[in-house]
Amino acid sequence: MGFAGNPEPSFVFPTVIATHGSSTSGASGGGKSTVSAPSRGGPGGGPPPVASKPGHLASKRGIDDLDFFIGDEAIANSKTYSLHYPIKHGMVDNWDHMERFWAQSIFKYLRAEPEDHYVLLTEPPLNPPENRENTAEIMFESFNIQGLYIAVQAVLALAASWTSSKVTERNLTGVVIDSGDGVTHTIPVADGYVIGSSIKHIPIAGRNITEFVLNLLRDRGEQAHIPPEDQLRVAEKIKEDYTYVCQDIVKEIRKYDTDPYKYFARFAGEHSVTGRKYDIDIGYERFLAPEIFFNPEIYSSDFLTPLPEVVDNVIQTSPIDVRRGLYKNIVLSGGSTMFKDFGRRLQRDIKHIVDGRIAHSEQASGNLMRSTGVDVNVVTHKRQRYAVWYGGSLMASTPEFYNVAHTKQQYEEFGPSLVRRFSVFGSSS
Amino acid sequence: MLQLDQNNLLITKTLTERVNAVEEKSLDRIVTDFDFTTYHLLTFPDQKNQILISVYLKCWDDLVKYGVVDYLKGKYSPYSDVLTILDPKDAETNYNYSIVLDLERARQSDATSVINEISYLKRHCLAAPFERGFARYDELAEKYASSNTYSEEIQGELLTEEVLVIKYRGAEECIFIKPSFDRVTVIFSTTFKDEMDKTFGKVFLQEFVDARKRSVQTAPQVLFTHNEPPLDIRKAAPTTKFDTNKGYVTFVLFPRHLVKGDRRDNCISHIQYFRNYFHYHIKCSKAYMHSRMRHRVKEFLKVLNRAKPENVDNDGRAIENRKTASGRRFDARA
Repeated sequence: MGFAGNPEPSFVFPTVIATHGSSTSGASGGGKSTVSAPSRGGPGGGPPPVASKPGHLASKRGIDDLDFFIGDEAIANSKTYSLHYPIKHGMVDNWDHMERFWAQSIFKYLRAEPEDHYVLLTEPPLNPPENRENTAEIMFESFNIQGLYIAVQAVLALAASWTSSKVTERNLTGVVIDSGDGVTHTIPVADGYVIGSSIKHIPIAGRNITEFVLNLLRDRGEQAHIPPEDQLRVAEKIKEDYTYVCQDIVKEIRKYDTDPYKYFARFAGEHSVTGRKYDIDIGYERFLAPEIFFNPEIYSSDFLTPLPEVVDNVIQTSPIDVRRGLYKNIVLSGGSTMFKDFGRRLQRDIKHIVDGRIAHSEQASGNLMRSTGVDVNVVTHKRQRYAVWYGGSLMASTPEFYNVAHTKQQYEEFGPSLVRRFSVFGSSS
Repeated sequence: MLQLDQNNLLITKTLTERVNAVEEKSLDRIVTDFDFTTYHLLTFPDQKNQILISVYLKCWDDLVKYGVVDYLKGKYSPYSDVLTILDPKDAETNYNYSIVLDLERARQSDATSVINEISYLKRHCLAAPFERGFARYDELAEKYASSNTYSEEIQGELLTEEVLVIKYRGAEECIFIKPSFDRVTVIFSTTFKDEMDKTFGKVFLQEFVDARKRSVQTAPQVLFTHNEPPLDIRKAAPTTKFDTNKGYVTFVLFPRHLVKGDRRDNCISHIQYFRNYFHYHIKCSKAYMHSRMRHRVKEFLKVLNRAKPENVDNDGRAIENRKTASGRRFDARA
């Protein structure tokens, strides 16, 4: 989260909320059980978590609903509080927690009076409209914000790619490959509208790469040098700092075998508790780790389609008139697409598939037809890690934003169903 | 989170990161705070170890009248080896006040305290008029210490005492500070954008009034008036049209709140954030109400679902069609 016009988000923390006491009572909303005990002493309310001192105002009226932490602070306090994740699979699951999460993020972290500001929120593709309505209700009725715009994440990622020098025209057509920690999506977008039916999910993402690095280290026996509690951290560090995507895996392995000293990197770590130093060699995992996107069979046996093929499939299932535009603008977003040369390899592989198909169809036509060829272009840019956020920041800082955002007056006129329809950003530009 | 912090978390975080960073990177970041306050953190293009910190406040002109520049100088001059205070005339365009932090030197000394002070920048800005008002209270207290304060002429003099006005959110919402010999009256005016907020606000403020009666006798006296300004500030308050969405909250600070030192500082920091605190809690209580409402709806839905008759024929009579374990019905054979 952050403010429009800044190049980086101000705060990055997980959507987690720590509330007091609800872990035992089994009610989903923490602190719900405490207030006005005389009127509802029935089975609905559990015991108040805090022993109430008689006569003390605060405990009498109950302020437990304010006793919670969010983000990193929540995780730090996980021993005494119980953690909840109000967002599940990208969708808001628990609105009570989400509302309080928002309250604290606005007031404590952003330090803004919501009544003075416009808010831009993002949603995953295929978010049910009911969720948008709920969000609008909370934003307008609890926080009295001036205006709200709910943007689709993929569209914002496309907008963020405008910063790349390779992009010449600012259109909102393209395929977004969004790879985070848990799952990778490929989302085709045509003129700002998501083609929902062709979205594909790949169960390989950042966490799997880390795991794979760990496996490789274990196979080579390097793992023995790393203290067990640091293993995940070290693997993550290796993934982030040392890996790259090779163009040809066989050649690369041969290169490493002939001259290991030149290519093997050393990683110097320090035990996080005792401070003991240790060294490990980083070898093939430097290029094998991101390779699981292109050859998933080296990691899992459940999912075997390489990423370029998935992207190609996604485009092939989209309407025929946008396919050319989709091939031309394949945009990367999210932390797990940051590997060096990732974009180039992806572009080469997709191009390969496309050219193969064209050659095949030319042959099938008896060499009578000639194709003009299809441009395949994978866009990489500097803001990939927080591409969605950056796209949002870019959008919200344009004067156009105030035209497309829904204002409070409109909300009062139409009610929550207002957010069901939305105008696409940048469609005029 | 019962209280709002007075310092700006993001400034603390950014500067701490910067001081601990190994390599110098350029920085250009806008940070906001309550009441339209904006900070701008910026590194100079050629010197990346110098951070320019500028602040914009809506009520700066008022603050200058009450000596904010000197007050800030007093606050930041102890750190003059790492902080350079720019003359307000040289401050960045569109901002009111700028200071420059030298990262190089900050690294050598202990940077936490200076970063801490910087993060309190807004608090310090707003504290200046309060300090001024409280200083005036000291003067008055001394002046009238041995005289009969009930006499007509002294009362008359007190009536003409200047009221300090800070238009902290534009002309609509102001803070008024009126010093006297035995108390300082601080009055906030605030507007509500929403009918519901007004109601919540009333209940919330009533709680302040009750708290004093019930348990916390040492709390400052709180009065709440609606629509029209209290008599103390009738003269100073901008005579706007009769506005139903406007509320006035009066705090009467007694000598025990004004003891010099930490307590006075504490009092200033808390009272200037009152409006934000107030509106924050209105929002929190709404969130709380909503969660109760959702809970209730869920309960009612449960009841409704239970009350649904299972199988009814057209006349509303229940149909007997119980099944055996294997799924066969007890059908009546004709």
